[in-house]
Amino acid sequence: MASFTRRGFIASTAAAASAAGLKVGPAGAQGNYPNRPIQMICPWGAGGGTDATARIVAAILEKDLGQPVNVVNRTGGSGVVGHQAIASGAPDGYTLGIITVEISMMHWQGLTELTPRSYTPLALMNEDPPGVQVYVGSPHKTVKELAEAIKAAPPGKLKASGTGQGGIWHLALVGWLQAMGLKPDHVAWVPSNGAAPAMQDLAAGGLDIVTCSVPEARALIEAGKARSLAVMAHERNPAFPNVPTLKEEMGIDYATGAWRGFAGPKGLPAEIANKLTAALKKANESKEYRDFMGSRGFGVKWADAQGFASFMDAGNEQMGKAMKAAGLAKA
Amino acid sequence: MSALLEAFRMVAATDVLIAILLSSIYGLVVGCLPGLSATMATALLVPITFYLSPIAAIATIIAASSMAIFSGDIPGCLLRIPGTPASAAYTDEAYAMTRKGEAETALGICLWFSALGGIAGTLSLILLAPALAEMALSFSTYEYFWLAFLGLMCATLVARSSPVKAIASMLLGLLFACIGIENPAGTPRFTFGFTDLLGGIEVIPALVGVFAVSEVMRAMVTPEPPPLPPRRFGSILKGQWELTKKYPKQQARGNLVGIIIGVLPGAGADMAAWVSYALSKRFSKEPEKFGTGHPEGLVEAGASNNASLASGWVPSLLFGIPGDTITAIAIGVLYMKGLNPGPTLFTERASSMYALYIIFIIANIIMIPLGIMMIRGATFILRAPRSSVMPVIVLCCAVGTFATGNNLFNVICVAFFGVLGFVMEKNGYPVAALVLGIVMGTMVEQSFVTSLIKSDGSILPFFERPVSAVLAAMTIACLVWPFFVVANRWFAARRRRAVPAQ
Amino acid sequence: MQLSDRISGAFLVALGALAAYGGSRLPPVPGQQIGPNVFPMVVGIGLALCGVMIALGVGRRFEEEAEADLHAHENPIPESERHHGPLYGLRALVPPALLIFYVLVVDKLGFVPTAAIIALVAGKTLGASWRLAVPIAAIAPVLVHLAFYKLLRVPLPAGLLPMPW
Repeated sequence: MASFTRRGFIASTAAAASAAGLKVGPAGAQGNYPNRPIQMICPWGAGGGTDATARIVAAILEKDLGQPVNVVNRTGGSGVVGHQAIASGAPDGYTLGIITVEISMMHWQGLTELTPRSYTPLALMNEDPPGVQVYVGSPHKTVKELAEAIKAAPPGKLKASGTGQGGIWHLALVGWLQAMGLKPDHVAWVPSNGAAPAMQDLAAGGLDIVTCSVPEARALIEAGKARSLAVMAHERNPAFPNVPTLKEEMGIDYATGAWRGFAGPKGLPAEIANKLTAALKKANESKEYRDFMGSRGFGVKWADAQGFASFMDAGNEQMGKAMKAAGLAKA
Repeated sequence: MSALLEAFRMVAATDVLIAILLSSIYGLVVGCLPGLSATMATALLVPITFYLSPIAAIATIIAASSMAIFSGDIPGCLLRIPGTPASAAYTDEAYAMTRKGEAETALGICLWFSALGGIAGTLSLILLAPALAEMALSFSTYEYFWLAFLGLMCATLVARSSPVKAIASMLLGLLFACIGIENPAGTPRFTFGFTDLLGGIEVIPALVGVFAVSEVMRAMVTPEPPPLPPRRFGSILKGQWELTKKYPKQQARGNLVGIIIGVLPGAGADMAAWVSYALSKRFSKEPEKFGTGHPEGLVEAGASNNASLASGWVPSLLFGIPGDTITAIAIGVLYMKGLNPGPTLFTERASSMYALYIIFIIANIIMIPLGIMMIRGATFILRAPRSSVMPVIVLCCAVGTFATGNNLFNVICVAFFGVLGFVMEKNGYPVAALVLGIVMGTMVEQSFVTSLIKSDGSILPFFERPVSAVLAAMTIACLVWPFFVVANRWFAARRRRAVPAQ
Repeated sequence: MQLSDRISGAFLVALGALAAYGGSRLPPVPGQQIGPNVFPMVVGIGLALCGVMIALGVGRRFEEEAEADLHAHENPIPESERHHGPLYGLRALVPPALLIFYVLVVDKLGFVPTAAIIALVAGKTLGASWRLAVPIAAIAPVLVHLAFYKLLRVPLPAGLLPMPW
């Protein structure tokens, strides 16, 4: 079934392109790329953060490249279906997509064969590091105090949440615990349906810690219900300058994050890839993009094709290590 | 006061008014297409809000979602195909009225009480937002578990047929909800190696399958029913005032339940309609009329699902926590437009907040004239030959469910659930209970498992916490109720049999 | 497909048992007392119990009463007992078959031709005259395409017959 849909998808991509009424030139005619609409696949649903990022970048690319860039949400399979659709598109530059941190996690769980290497990376555009949030009534005022409390508590006593079992924020906690020399399950993980319900439960007093990105926690922090103690990043977030990094507070140089980048199917011609990377760099630096990301509280990040590739390789390894330690990876 | 005037000025801007009008029409049309839910209507608007001013952007979402929830009642009433999951609870009731030749009255009820419910919900948002928000925050996973369980029990209260079969249908729905990786353990279950099953069975394809496709299947093997008597009602709203006076308690209860359920994150209009319809039947003086085209349940449930829509904005606006799937999308738009959710929104951006209230009220008022036009247009379907309506419905089923994720797998799901719904219906298994099971399944399991992790395996907190204890008592009462009835009837029957023998 | 309660009940027992068995084989997850196996097992066992009760006819009386109520409140629809061939019942499978047909060919044929075939077959099966079925098959797909492709931006494949918009 999966393979059928995949093939079907390529056909529909080509079909959509010819629907625009433009004659598709021979494959060799790359010089005037793009000469027909580009399809930008988003593996997550409309209205979410990834969808918003894809749409704002698509709008900017459209102006720059002079061809429509249509965002298509291909959801299902917890992101696998959409990521699959990007990887198995025709490598002609007319099927691109936004890929997310899950691509470096899902294959460790045996959910897919896809890895970051299944794509032609184009550019890294965003990264949001996790913060460490506690209830406003918590006695721990700094992350150092919290860390002492964690170490002193019996395993499993404290509860943390932020996303589902094996999700990115779970792995962030696992990585942090390991960096402190503790076992991955020293703090029990309470799976939740995303950051918002976890933050609600934190405010309701049901949890001790929530590791999710600071922007996701922002509304409750501003409502005076929660406090952010630290971010697991190398630098502070300019939007939240009062939240220190783990390194500043504890001397632990542990950083991770949820990222979003753009990629095409494997084997994209270098000429096209370079042109897209250049366009994405322009988009990344544009005021429109910066304003948008700033308003959502999303972190702007930039890495070109090579940088993105090595970034993903490093992240992939880090995730694999954390997932194996937490017993989440398939043996 | 000046903030209020400023708010009126903001809403009176041409672009905002046009946005409200166009998105209202859009919401009405999308909501009544089988396969396109209110959530999808909202999601498809997001790209358009990029180009709008902040107030206009919010206005499109409010107007479109309110209209779509009402509009979902239209195909449910006319064709027994609910347009949105929120209408599924009382579809049989509305359709029964249509078969009695009272389609206009049934739709009038849906429209009138939707609008009143929407306004009641807005008032709760204006007057009680902080208090309601505090209440929502006091709900932890323990309370959610009971709430979800209570929602599931509605299946037995609503069903007209055997409660055992209703529970079986609901359990079947829960079993479908097990499929995929979206469970607390993050483990793929019953996926049989298919990537498409990883994400689980979505509600919309199931809903469209068991209601729309199975309805078309039934049409294939039944002779065309005789055309309805060409009775015309003077006005769609005629008689609604009498109903308002006749059922004040039902309406108030519907509004109240809708507001409370709407405020709770994760429970939305779908659940509000179910609980209200079940309550209405449970406390009615004439419960035997339910399901035969009786307006009472429609009044209560119709008021409830629209009331929940406005109150769902409370936790979203105050804490950035979505009350339902629609506000989850709205939060994204709020951030994008610089209206960051939080208490400061109510103080620093008071005029924007007032504008939002005004838009809610306007949307619910213009719902009435636009809704009447929509109903007038839609009732043509009743006079059109079945062989011209059904092919179009098949097309809408295919395209509508494809559009939920641009995934052809959803269309296969629709076909599967069509066959399942057809067989279930033939054998007296209520399909609405199946949909309820699929909707609530994840919430039941998630809240139960996470509660146990938090309590280190103890089940005491499920009964110790005050709100939890009340909900637990209600759930257990519902749970033993069918057995009590069965036993009661059994004894009654024995007595009856025993009497002539003497 | 009218089955006796015994058969549908037995089917539920089998399905419940399979679900419980399938669920019981799921591996536990570290850190969770209630693993992924518990919920399917509970649901499966519940389903099997319901199946047993249905097969034994518990709650049957409710259905009879409900049907009696419905008939009392409704003007009965005259069931014209036409004589149907043995294959008549299979017509019910036409709609799901058309949906599967859509999945299989829409990418090759394109939306409008596929939808036209579906509308024509559905209309004819329902007994429409050619004069009604053909115009609907010609117009409805185009309108649906316009609404979904243009207004809602759903990427419907163009295939053999691209639309001018």
